[in-house]
Amino acid sequence: MTSSPNVSQPNRKVMIRLENLTKRFPGQKQNAVDNLTLDIYEGEIVVLVGPSGCGKTTTMKTINRIIEPTSGRIILDGEDVTTANPDTLRRRIGYVIQQVGLFPHQTIGENIATVPKLLGWDSKRVTARVDELLDMVNMSPADYRDRYPKQLSGGQRQRVGVARALGADPDVMLMDEPFGAIDPITRDRLQNEFLRLQSEVRKTIVFVTHDIDEAIKMGDRIVILQEASRIAQYDTPERILTAPANQFVADFIGKGASLKRLNLSRVSDIELSSWPTVRVGADSAQVLDQLRSSGRDSVLVLDDAGRPRRWVGAGDLQSSPSGALEEIGVPVEGMVEPTATLSDALNELIAARNSVTIVVDPAGVYRGVVDINQINETIRAMRSTSAAQNAADLAERSTAGSASERP
Amino acid sequence: MNFFEFLVNRSDDMLELGLGHAAVVGVSVLLATVIGVSLGIATYRKPRPREAVLAVTGAFLTIPSFALFILLIGPLGLGTMPVVVALTMYGLLPIVRNTITGLREVDPAIVESASGMGMSRSQQLLRIELPLAWPVIITGVRVTSLVLLGIAAIGSIVLGPGYGEMIFTGLARVGTPVAVNLVLAGTLGIIILAILSDVLFYVIRRLTTSQGIR
Repeated sequence: MTSSPNVSQPNRKVMIRLENLTKRFPGQKQNAVDNLTLDIYEGEIVVLVGPSGCGKTTTMKTINRIIEPTSGRIILDGEDVTTANPDTLRRRIGYVIQQVGLFPHQTIGENIATVPKLLGWDSKRVTARVDELLDMVNMSPADYRDRYPKQLSGGQRQRVGVARALGADPDVMLMDEPFGAIDPITRDRLQNEFLRLQSEVRKTIVFVTHDIDEAIKMGDRIVILQEASRIAQYDTPERILTAPANQFVADFIGKGASLKRLNLSRVSDIELSSWPTVRVGADSAQVLDQLRSSGRDSVLVLDDAGRPRRWVGAGDLQSSPSGALEEIGVPVEGMVEPTATLSDALNELIAARNSVTIVVDPAGVYRGVVDINQINETIRAMRSTSAAQNAADLAERSTAGSASERP
Repeated sequence: MNFFEFLVNRSDDMLELGLGHAAVVGVSVLLATVIGVSLGIATYRKPRPREAVLAVTGAFLTIPSFALFILLIGPLGLGTMPVVVALTMYGLLPIVRNTITGLREVDPAIVESASGMGMSRSQQLLRIELPLAWPVIITGVRVTSLVLLGIAAIGSIVLGPGYGEMIFTGLARVGTPVAVNLVLAGTLGIIILAILSDVLFYVIRRLTTSQGIR
């Protein structure tokens, strides 16, 4: 098999290690998880992804021993917890499931306080923590603390579920399709919020999904699993998209891997092109001058604050020679900010005039444009980088020979 | 003497019998609740014991009350004891059944998240499952109370307390004018107790059920 079971990362701490983990459910002939060995590094989101029935959820649930493994070992932060007291173990691990599972008879505050209370925190500390967590998930403590789950929307409940899992500030979080039952728009927002939150809290997260797009978006690393939780590939999203380890991975990613790759780069990662611009106060001579020197057929009119307003071409000047630049041409549409992905930029580009996407900073000030050639180059660059990495890996493996990979 | 004058005349009796009736039913409901909820908790996750408990407590209800009271004279003698035992047996089914139904209706995702956060089995049961099943359980207790208020009247054949005494005295004097008044008064007393018990359980249910699941 061409899988790369573990990405060696000598400088980082292994937070979760699964060793030869096997699970066979009673009465079944096949192992649900078959001899899985996996290292998960501190502070990373590792996404377990695979077709339904591949054992990804079972694998995740062995980590907090909601499902007890048949054999193998679970090592958490250097400590073998395979036979530890499961209740104490679980209080150290945040747990979020798709159905959220909020306690309907308890208020939001009481729900979030669950683990701190189990750990015997005093009530002042618990109250302070509850408010802090509600703030973290963008819910005002005063408004939501005393409400009941039935009074919240699905998205809000999921936020509370995340806050509850973070209750006692666990090092590790397990998330089983946490955004699976939420409408696409809210899901996108929750995913972004969660990534922002994770950039602050830096938890080690095991995230299960069947959706490769979600895996690419959320994962620092992705484990693609085949049946019986056999690892088909364990790698970064970039590497999985550009260098699938085998046919199974390629099939699982499906068509459009190049398009998916565009989700991995942001507009801020590439050098923007420039476009001829004029200020709203400029006269037609200046416009024509810009058009001639740039060879483009329209200029971008910026307002006094530098915000793009209209596209104006030579034809527009002729048809209304006396018109102010603010009133002729066509208004600009579909601008993106530097934090947008190249996929967002491409999406705007397809619909845009002049086949470019205008990039503005958060204040709306013009920064530059993205055109199709830049997107094209980015994809090509990614492909060659990962090809180079693959070559380097191969070379390293052949020279390393039988030397042990880790201390 | 019309029925109203009869009631005024016998108001002391009515009150005393009422208290006796309420007390014997109250004690039986309490016992049936303790035993029934415990049986429900012990069996709701295991199909065979669960079916067995439901079958046995269901079978109790098919024993004619007359027969059961008389059968209990042997081991327990006359008076309150055999009545309490028989009523407790009759009261089990609605409570056991509702306890099992209530606990089984708790969303498995809720229990999984409780256990995933490190609640022990008994914490899950006491803090999550029982509070969520509570409205269903208390409804079972309410049904039991109503059923037992009726059956308790028969207990007077083994000299148990309550309105049964008036009804059986009336039965013994069929044909006399006072017979009808006696039976009516006993029946009326039971109906009033039933209404009071319903109000009581409504209030208890409101006060003890979380706003979040009302």
